[in-house]
Amino acid sequence: MATIKEYLTTDHRKCDELFAAMEDAATQSLENAKEAYKAFVADTERHFQMEERVMFLEFENKTGMTEGPTAMMRHEHAQMRSLMQQMGEALEAGNKDKFFGLAETLMILMQQHNMKEEQMLYSMAQQHLSAESDRIVDMMESMIVE
Amino acid sequence: MNFNGLSIDQAPPISAPLRFFLTAPIFGIITGFLLLLSDPAALSNRFSLESIVSVHAITIGFLGFVMLGALTQMLPVLAGVKIPRVKEVTTLSHMLLVVGLLCMIAGLYFQNSVFALFALVGLGGGFLIMIGAISIAIMQVKNFTATVRGMGVSLFFAFFTVLMGLFLLYSYMYEDFSTYHTIIANTHSVWGVFGFGGVLIIGVSFQVLPMFYVAPKFKRFCKKRVIWLIVAGLLLWLALNAFAEPLSVFAKFWIALFFWAFATTVWKKLNARRRPISDVTVWYWRSASIFLTLGTFVWIFDEWFSSEHIVITAIFIGGGFVLSIMVGMLYKIVPFLVWFHLNAMGYMSIPTMNEMINKKLATAQFVLFIVSLLGFVCAFFMPFVLPLFAVTFILSMALLEYNIVTAALVYVKTKKTKPDFDMSAFSS
Repeated sequence: MATIKEYLTTDHRKCDELFAAMEDAATQSLENAKEAYKAFVADTERHFQMEERVMFLEFENKTGMTEGPTAMMRHEHAQMRSLMQQMGEALEAGNKDKFFGLAETLMILMQQHNMKEEQMLYSMAQQHLSAESDRIVDMMESMIVE
Repeated sequence: MNFNGLSIDQAPPISAPLRFFLTAPIFGIITGFLLLLSDPAALSNRFSLESIVSVHAITIGFLGFVMLGALTQMLPVLAGVKIPRVKEVTTLSHMLLVVGLLCMIAGLYFQNSVFALFALVGLGGGFLIMIGAISIAIMQVKNFTATVRGMGVSLFFAFFTVLMGLFLLYSYMYEDFSTYHTIIANTHSVWGVFGFGGVLIIGVSFQVLPMFYVAPKFKRFCKKRVIWLIVAGLLLWLALNAFAEPLSVFAKFWIALFFWAFATTVWKKLNARRRPISDVTVWYWRSASIFLTLGTFVWIFDEWFSSEHIVITAIFIGGGFVLSIMVGMLYKIVPFLVWFHLNAMGYMSIPTMNEMINKKLATAQFVLFIVSLLGFVCAFFMPFVLPLFAVTFILSMALLEYNIVTAALVYVKTKKTKPDFDMSAFSS
């Protein structure tokens, strides 16, 4: 079974692929991109919740660090959710420039966020939670998005 | 493991990287004027004072400044460490470097030893403070990735490039040339371009290309070995130049081979990228790849022409490769920093990154830049055309400054006018 780090890192790449597919669809027409947008947002939201409702909680319980890195990551999730919502509004309004401008901003924010997680937080989580790694990955896998 | 990079409070203040980024194009403009004022015939000799002055105005003033600025921003994100006392360190070293570089230009141009002395102190102090501070940060890194390794190696070469540079400047100042002058000058330039600039670009591209463009990952071999293979080539270059000069072509071939391979890899990764977007940054990556390929070929083939065309190699590699990447990066990093810092303060109605810089002006800047580089190559064979392309280069750098200052002004204006203060996004 994949470790926490491998599982969540692979999921980042999946979100990236869906992001690219959404942009690809949007270059043809914004109308076309609506489905792809939904798929990207759904998957990204699922990723956020796997972290916020499972992995971050386990990490915080184990280390006692509730105001540390996980708080920062939650803050960045909020920033990204806000951008995704604005992208949805731009799609509805048919504003292509706005949509691509927001997408570019989201992309850089998202990748900066992913680098921090993949290079620091996930390694730290794997180190502290290695004994429970399988159970945590199982929980994330079977989690139902709220 | 530490989490400095994961806290907004620990992110460097926006002024730390921006002061370097906003100064860089100004030195680009100064370089253009130096080219305009120089005798074109003198510029075709790499050891003429005109050549040395122009080359350093752009390599230190643009490439050096952008690389140092970028390192302050990237270290917390890519390595999880921060530069100690980043505000004081960047303010002081930026000031020393600006004064030092202006004095170097004036000192060499007017053959004035007082200016040259200030140049030694300014450039030596400015670079060594920054390199020291970044080294302290890198020493705290626990999780060494290929990119962080690239940064560390690049810093090693930066340190020796600076030391050799100071020694060479001293030689010119007192016209006291050692018997090793040519070896030191060659090593200084090759280590500066390939060791400091090249290795940093390669290391960072391991992360940037796959992540920002959703391109295929670099192979394990690339990430694990290529930087060490280049280091071996650069050390071999020094050893052969010092002890077995006729054999130094092997080291040259070795270095050129890996950079050419890198240029090809960049091109292939961009072709295979999943994001369809093609903006000015992608064009700059592509032009960098083409110019690097041309540069490595000219560098090797020039061996059979007694290095007569070294100036063309310098234009292709220094200008076409390193400078292209740096300019392209500025178009992404400056608007993002503005957005990121405003957003972190709670401002929600911020222009998107694409709205901060006019696309047409960015395109015009790119075209002027490429035309200038090609023009400089033509000027090597037809010196009388140089003034024309010095002017296009000045225009391209002025436009670049205008474009990134426009983005930076969004930050100033938003902070001043406080359009909104919506914290709802953080309430969940």
